Amino acid sequence: MKTILCAVLAVATLLPAQSTKTPDLTGVWAPFSGGRGGGGDPKIAPPPAGQLVLKPEYAKPYEARRAAEAEATKRGEQLATAGAQCIPYGVPTMMAVASYPVEFIQNANQVTIISEAFSEVRRVYLDQPQAALDDVAPGYYGRSAGKWDGDTLVVDTIGIKPTVNGYRGMPHSEKMHITERIKLITPDVLHDQITIEDPVVLEKPMVYTLAYRRMPDYEMVEFVCDNNREYVDEKGVVRMKIKDK
Amino acid sequence: MKSRLLNVLALVTLLAIPVLAHHSFTMFDTTKQITITGTVTSFEWTNPHSYIEIDVPDEGGAVKHWSIEMGSPSILQQSGWKFSSLKKGDKTTLVINPLKTGLAGGFLNTATLPTGKVLGNGPGRGPAK
Repeated sequence: MKTILCAVLAVATLLPAQSTKTPDLTGVWAPFSGGRGGGGDPKIAPPPAGQLVLKPEYAKPYEARRAAEAEATKRGEQLATAGAQCIPYGVPTMMAVASYPVEFIQNANQVTIISEAFSEVRRVYLDQPQAALDDVAPGYYGRSAGKWDGDTLVVDTIGIKPTVNGYRGMPHSEKMHITERIKLITPDVLHDQITIEDPVVLEKPMVYTLAYRRMPDYEMVEFVCDNNREYVDEKGVVRMKIKDK
Repeated sequence: MKSRLLNVLALVTLLAIPVLAHHSFTMFDTTKQITITGTVTSFEWTNPHSYIEIDVPDEGGAVKHWSIEMGSPSILQQSGWKFSSLKKGDKTTLVINPLKTGLAGGFLNTATLPTGKVLGNGPGRGPAK
């Protein structure tokens, strides 16, 4: 009886510690989409992206740009993009650039996220209050404050400058506010649910989820954009420089 | 109603945009493959792309220089490439998608190394390692 009582007490003591244990996101993660790399498993595939609903005054130029891009593609050309000029993607786009991995490095005070493409780095300060928007110089990564909500890392980001393209080229204002809920779905699958709010540009929040697979033992490859042969011609079209010898 | 239509259009177009690291493949004619054989003048293991610079002699002996774009080192290493896979002076045969402009440039599909090993251009683009 005494033994059973001891065992029950031991389990009771352990349970709270296990349930409040902070997940460790440290490691290298490769993005995958539900259909391609996800193997079609609905348990680990990210849910479909929500609807992008721009205010009419922003929807019109956005569509005009998309139409121009489609026309250029038909002609066999690509219109200039930031990426083609080796300009970093910033938050949130850097979280999934083609199949390039991202590395999470976590400690008690900070989560650092490094994207292999363009070697972009963002820092999430844990358990720190978010700064006032007026105190954050607009940039590519803004300021990110994070906290653990049970097993989910909740990251609040402000201060992304409007010239940094948002989700798939969507426009945004300086008031864009991004909330990420980052969670291990299995020990080797990570989801990042991204909610973009912008009272100036969006009619309603844009929500989409990125999914990643763990890449055990992968060592990140350096990516310094020092040999960009693509240039933009006088018509705004991306061209490739070729050498004559 | 008009704004609603625009919103719907925004959604449809959004789904059609490819997510690429650097630029699209639009400038290359992916419906066409050509094979060139020549001597490497430089192998550039660089970002955002790697390049094979190659002198290609024609049947008459005249030499034409080609610039061949590849994936980035991160992508290439997934199909078996190393920074030392090619060097100046190596003889190699490349299968490429040529530039639509007709200039002497293209995008690599496969390369046959001096060892006889055939390498692609990253996952889904030619032989895996």
